[in-house]
Amino acid sequence: MRDETIPEMSKDLCSRLLTDLENAKRPVMEAVKCSLDNSNYNPKVGYLTPGDKMVRTELNVSSVQKMSRAIFLLEIFLRNLETGAVNTKRELYYIAKGEVKHNPALKPLDFLDQTESDSVIDFICEMLECYREELNCFANDRGGQTYSNQLVVTETLPDGGKAVVDLSSLGTTPFQPKNRPQSLKLKAKKKIDFCLVVESEGTANTFVSNGFCKRNNCILMGAQGVPSNAVRGWCKLIQDELDVPIYFFGDLDAYTMQNIFRTLKAGSAASLIRNSDFSAPEVRFLGVLPEDIKKYDLNDYPVKETDVGEARALKKAADALKNDPFFKDKKNKGLSEILHWLLKNKRRCEQQAFFTVDPRDPTMPEKIIIEKIKRKNYI
Amino acid sequence: MAKQKITSSSTAEYFSKNLQQVGFSSPTKAVLTTLKEAVDNSLDACEDHEILPEIDVVIEKIGTGTLKNTDLIRIKISDNGPGLDAEEVTKVFGEYLASSKFGRGRCSRGQQGIGISAATTWAQLTSAKGATVITKTKGMRQAVSARVEVDIKNNKGLLKDKKSITWDRPHGVSVEFEIDGRIQLQGEGGLLTYLNGTALVNPHLNLTYKLLDQPKQKILRVTDKGPDIPEATEPHPHTMKLGEFIAFSHLFGRVTLKVWLKKAFSRITDNTIQEFIKNGLPKKYVDESIDKLSELQFKEVFGAIHKTELMAPSTRSVMIIGEEAFSKSVRRLGEVDFFSVVTRKPTICDFKPVAVEVAIARLKNLVRDGSEGNDPPVQVLRFANRVPLQFDKSACAMVKAIETVNWRAYGLQQPKDSLPNGPYVIALSLVSPFIKFKNASKETVDASDELVEEIRRTLIQAGQRLSRHIRKETKANDLEEKLRHIEQFCPILVDCLCRITKAPAARKKKANEGLVKLLGRDINLAKKQLEEAEVHAEKAKKSGKLQVVKKDEDETKEEAPVELEAETPDVEIKEKKAKPAPKKKTEKKQIEKVD
Repeated sequence: MRDETIPEMSKDLCSRLLTDLENAKRPVMEAVKCSLDNSNYNPKVGYLTPGDKMVRTELNVSSVQKMSRAIFLLEIFLRNLETGAVNTKRELYYIAKGEVKHNPALKPLDFLDQTESDSVIDFICEMLECYREELNCFANDRGGQTYSNQLVVTETLPDGGKAVVDLSSLGTTPFQPKNRPQSLKLKAKKKIDFCLVVESEGTANTFVSNGFCKRNNCILMGAQGVPSNAVRGWCKLIQDELDVPIYFFGDLDAYTMQNIFRTLKAGSAASLIRNSDFSAPEVRFLGVLPEDIKKYDLNDYPVKETDVGEARALKKAADALKNDPFFKDKKNKGLSEILHWLLKNKRRCEQQAFFTVDPRDPTMPEKIIIEKIKRKNYI
Repeated sequence: MAKQKITSSSTAEYFSKNLQQVGFSSPTKAVLTTLKEAVDNSLDACEDHEILPEIDVVIEKIGTGTLKNTDLIRIKISDNGPGLDAEEVTKVFGEYLASSKFGRGRCSRGQQGIGISAATTWAQLTSAKGATVITKTKGMRQAVSARVEVDIKNNKGLLKDKKSITWDRPHGVSVEFEIDGRIQLQGEGGLLTYLNGTALVNPHLNLTYKLLDQPKQKILRVTDKGPDIPEATEPHPHTMKLGEFIAFSHLFGRVTLKVWLKKAFSRITDNTIQEFIKNGLPKKYVDESIDKLSELQFKEVFGAIHKTELMAPSTRSVMIIGEEAFSKSVRRLGEVDFFSVVTRKPTICDFKPVAVEVAIARLKNLVRDGSEGNDPPVQVLRFANRVPLQFDKSACAMVKAIETVNWRAYGLQQPKDSLPNGPYVIALSLVSPFIKFKNASKETVDASDELVEEIRRTLIQAGQRLSRHIRKETKANDLEEKLRHIEQFCPILVDCLCRITKAPAARKKKANEGLVKLLGRDINLAKKQLEEAEVHAEKAKKSGKLQVVKKDEDETKEEAPVELEAETPDVEIKEKKAKPAPKKKTEKKQIEKVD
């Protein structure tokens, strides 16, 4: 935990910059370098942590625009923190535009598009080593729809009040986790055996409708593709507060392995400074595993190398095996072997292929999943 | 089944049915090709007789064409060349493959003797009139006027309505065609592009033209020195195929093999003949008469020659425009901002001598002031043996070479593997006695690796020269940008910092002063870099590698060689010719003004 609050840190930073200017000394802004070449992986910690590399922005004619924009947006954040107002990145882009509109002197700061303001927001976070949620800047709560007959969630509201949600009372309506998992507390009414994170939101819904949660004491969650901060923080919370095993069930392909599963388990290089709160190192890869294809006679198919997206994912997989400290670590040998298999065989198999095993039994995928968990057939 | 009779047809018959192969594939191209063939012939004739060319072109619509969507167009080209005898007229305008230039190994514009006969055929097919020719040589008292038609069955020219007339010039040829066609003035295939291009690569040409209802225009020559016509060279034996080799021997009659090889080919001496013998040429053949050698024996001779290493062909036969003349000519492209010209030493590509010349110029009228977005691609002017090439650009060796150069290194924008963008004209002239065209209408030069590489090297040299000026401009823009940044951002940054820290006004003032001091150091550095770039550009200018057109030179535009005139009679040319001295003076003036 840091000793200073964000407003205190911001004021200290601005004061230092101002003093440097008064002394005609070039002020410098330093931020953690958030990239793969500055990522470390310690198997004991379990997620990607930042190395020593910093991005230094020294004031000169070329960087004066970036610095001015950063301080301009920081002022808006500080105002939000003071009043408790929250915004999305898109809203902040328009707020910045509004400021410029009402004060023509600020015209040089105007952002041409949202990517420009987004990169300044990321720079501020990297500089203050905080999450944007800590600056009251939230993303849309996407993914993580959760079902359980045992889980009770208590949320601390911004006004200090408490809201208690018993998930069993929601029927087939899912619980949507928030971007700020710190405000949630979890309790199990009854022992929970496991948590299953399903890559496809649709398949997760099918499982619930077919009675998965009635037959199993579990938490069932749909990831909806690449996990958002909300999903990542929510998984971390489940892991820490309930101490239940978490399994990930998704496609067998390079994109799922690197972009979805790795981000859920160890965070990403772009979010090095917040991986500690937004990754669940205990999550296991349940499948689809390469051996499942043979074992259950699943329908797989070749990767189309002419497809730009697929070709990029394969190239990224080859790069990951060489450069990604997560896949290079021997603790994750099983996962890197899957990447090797994918590169060698150039085939992929979707999670829905489990429905081919017995097309007339809608619960067959569930049966296979439970069998795999029992036999510890996961990585 | 009845047996079909096999018939043979004449060359003229073949071409009359396949005129699209020689540039008459559309009504628009028909007009351009007719003009081009006539102008090429005039220029070649003048050069052969060391006459400074004066060419007059008139193109007008005189009615509706017989073909669908065409006009009846009159095309008249007159020159001050040596003129033709009456007998020669039928050969030149009415007979295919009758040429004074075929296989001579010279860098002339025309080579085979197809083009102008094809124009006569087109006129004959569409307006049933053929070509009307007026010709006068120095020795003739009166000029001869006649109509030439092609006897398509026998590939012979026919002379009709021949009469003697009085003409206003001592010698020359005037040819007039009435053809079905359509007129396109601007654009890559436009008549103006052709005429301006021809003027660019023929600095010694005085060109007057009147197109449609537009006022008559005159492009004056920028040099009184015609190109140095190099000696024709004999063919190199390694450039021949066996059949060609045997057929070539028939031209020499009864001479010994030794004499034939030494006389008819370049790079063959007594020593090389000894080498041939070592490589399998039977010694007894050497003194044998070539008309007695059988095909098999020729094959042995040919084999031995090809086994022997020979010196590459000579590059002496290549004719160039030269950097000085090209530099003057570039100014005729329009309002030129700055330009660089490179003439490479002739070299051997694909075993043929070739010379490449490049001019890159920035045109003021193409510069877009402060407009956002990308510039359009540069304008490319291609020339082969000083003839503009206007069609099928993408497959041409010259365009391919431009695309392989990294123009970004010289300060130009360039999308990947494409032409660079910007307000520039790249004029590329390729000269060789043996240019390999992709088609009979000579529109595209075949892109062999060696040729593309040679063109690329020339372009790189020109690009390097140009970049010195562009770099200077970039540095100047950089400085301007930096000054603008300081003015805009400094007060905002200090204001924001003071508001967040709740700093008093005194701190704000001090911080502002500190900031200006800091960024002032950057400005000084930028100024220093600009000065260095200016010194480099100045050095380049002094060495003549880069030419920048100054503002005061522009103000003398009325003396520039392109003039706009009201319609004037033919006498005008005579008057100008009668007073050569002032023209020379003008030229001298222009030379002085070029840096």
